[in-house]
Amino acid sequence: MSALSTLALAASSIIERPLRSLLTSLGIIIGVAAVYAMLALGEGAKKQIEESLNSISTRTMQVWPDWNRRRSSQSRPSMPFTEQDIIEMRSINGVYAATGTLAGRSYTIATDTNDVSGNFLGVDPDQLKASGSELKMGENISYADIDTRRPVAVISEGIQQRLFDNQNPMGQSIKVNNIAFTIKGVATKADSNISFGNDDIFVWAPITVARERVIGGNRFVQNHVSNIRIVGDLGQDLDSIEEEINIILRRSRDLKAGAPPDYRIFSSRGWQQQAADKTNSLSFLLAAMGAISLLVGGVGVMNIMLVSVTERTREIGLRMALGAKKSNIMNQFLTEALLLCIFSGVVGLTLGFFMSKVAMDTMDVKLVFSPFVAGVSFGSSLLIGVVFGFLPARRAAGLNPIEALRHE
Amino acid sequence: MGQSEVRALDGVDLDIHEGEFVAIIGSSGSGKSTLMNMLGALDQPTSGTVTINGENVGKMKSKALAEFRNTTIGFVFQQFQLLPKKSAVKNVALSLLYRKPKVKDAAERAAHCLELVGLGDRGGHRPTELSGGQQQRVAIARALAGAPKVLLADEPTGALDSKTSTDIMALMQDLNSQGITIIVITHEHEVAAYADRVVEFKDGRIISDKLNAEVAA
Repeated sequence: MSALSTLALAASSIIERPLRSLLTSLGIIIGVAAVYAMLALGEGAKKQIEESLNSISTRTMQVWPDWNRRRSSQSRPSMPFTEQDIIEMRSINGVYAATGTLAGRSYTIATDTNDVSGNFLGVDPDQLKASGSELKMGENISYADIDTRRPVAVISEGIQQRLFDNQNPMGQSIKVNNIAFTIKGVATKADSNISFGNDDIFVWAPITVARERVIGGNRFVQNHVSNIRIVGDLGQDLDSIEEEINIILRRSRDLKAGAPPDYRIFSSRGWQQQAADKTNSLSFLLAAMGAISLLVGGVGVMNIMLVSVTERTREIGLRMALGAKKSNIMNQFLTEALLLCIFSGVVGLTLGFFMSKVAMDTMDVKLVFSPFVAGVSFGSSLLIGVVFGFLPARRAAGLNPIEALRHE
Repeated sequence: MGQSEVRALDGVDLDIHEGEFVAIIGSSGSGKSTLMNMLGALDQPTSGTVTINGENVGKMKSKALAEFRNTTIGFVFQQFQLLPKKSAVKNVALSLLYRKPKVKDAAERAAHCLELVGLGDRGGHRPTELSGGQQQRVAIARALAGAPKVLLADEPTGALDSKTSTDIMALMQDLNSQGITIIVITHEHEVAAYADRVVEFKDGRIISDKLNAEVAA
C-alpha cells in the first residue's frame, strides 16, 4: 500500500467524522496556540530586554568614593578621584566613554532677569556621550576649553526653557556663583535610567573652570573629580572593564594588596539581568502550562483513536481478510492521528499567532514572529500525534481478523 | 480446570480441485467455520497441513498470510461487511489497495466486477442505498476484484430472503461455470443444493462427501 493511499485513507476517515475530528483537534489546537503564544511572548519580552541591555544606561558603571566606609585609625578618609584616573580608564579596551564629573552642591543659575536652582557640573567632553544626551544646538565642551580655562557652558533644555523661555540662548551668558559663563551649547535631557533625581536642570562647564572658580579644589588631591562614569562598547562585557578599573584605582590610590577598596562601583546591569531572568522563568512557566494542555489534548487524541479502533473493529477485520498487513493497519491509524495533529498544529499556530499579537499589544511588547518558537510548538503537536497515536494503532494492528470480523 | 482439549477439527482430510463448486455443510459447532478460516488463511492448524494453490498456508508468517489472502482468496461474508461510507466501486476496489505492485486501473477493474454481478449502474451508490441482495452482489464483486483462485463464501445467503438467496446462488453457479473455484459454507441444504459437491461436517469430522447428483439420488 503506497504512502499516498494511506494518507488518502486516513484523510477520508477524518473527513467522514467531521464533528468528532474537530472536537478531538480542539485540545491540540488550544495546546499549540498556548505554547506558541507564550513562547512568542517570552521571546518578545526577551528581545525587548536585550535591546534595553544595549542602551547606554545598562552599559554604564559609576564609580564613587566609599563614604560609608568607617574611618578607623588605619584608613584615611575616602579620597576623590583624579583626572589622571580618567585618562587611564579611557584607554581600557572596550570603553566607549569615560568621564569624570566634578559636582558641587546645588547652585543658583542666573541671568540678568531670572534665576533657577540646579546642578552645576564640571565636565570633560566625554560627558555628552556618557550621559546619553545629545546636543540640541551649539557645541560640546572641548579639551581646549578645559586647557585654556574658557568660561563657557553647555546648558540643559530645562534651563533653556526656564531662563530663556525656549529662545535661542547661544552666546548669552549665565552666572553661577557670580562667575559669568558664555553658553556654547544646549543638551537634551540625559537618559532617564542614568540620572538621579531632577537632572533636567544642569549646567556643564569645563572641569578646570568649575574647580578653580566655582566649586573649589580638594585639600588632598590635585585635579580631583567627584565621580567617574564609564560606558562600555555595545556588547562589551562590563566585568573585564571593571577589573581594569580596579587595577587603575588601586594603583593610583595606593591600596595594599588585599586591602578593601575605598571606592564603590555601581552598575544597573544587575537588575536588568534579573528582569531578563524573571521574564525567562515567567515565559517558561506559561509555556509549561501550554505543554500541559498539549498533553491533555494528546490524551484526548488517544482516547478518541481508541474509541475509533473499537468502533471500526469489523472494518479492521475486513481489511485484514482482504489482505491488509499489520503494518498497513498500523500506518493507517498512526497516519490518522498524525494528520489530526498536523491539522490541529496549523490551526493552533494561526490562533496562537493572533493570541500573541493581542497579548503583545496589550502588554506593549513588540510582536516578533519566531520561526524557532513556531517550530517548537508545531513539532510538539507532531510528537503528540506519534506518541498518542501509537497505542491505538498498535491495538488495531494486533487484532485477530477472525474475531474482529465477528465483532458486533 | 480448563484442561479439557477442544478439537474444532479432527483428522480432516479434504481435497478440493480447481474449478469445483463445493458446499461445506454442518450445524453450528460442527467445525465448518474453523475449516473456512483455515481455507481462507485467516487461521492456521495446530497440526497437519493446509495447502492452497500449492502453498503451505500452515507455516506462513502473518505478513505472508496477508499477501496470500490478498492474491489467492476472495471472501464473501454473511453480513456483507461493506464499508458504509464508501461507494460500491470503492468497496469493490478495497483489496486492490493492499496489492503490490500498485494496481493502476483499480477503479476500472472494480467497475468491471460490478458489471459481472449485474450492478454496473450502481457503482456510485453507498451500501446503505442498496438492497440486501445488491449489497451481497457488491461483496461478491469485491471478492472477484482481486482475481482470486478461490471464492470463499461464509453463509452468503444467511441475511437474505429466499428470493434474493436464489439470485445470489444462481450468480455463484454462473461464476463457477466461468471457471472460478467456489467454496460455500452453510447450514442450509437448500443452499448446498446449488453446489456440485457437498461435504458434511459433524463434531469436527467429515461424515459425508458426495457429488450432488448422488445426494439427489
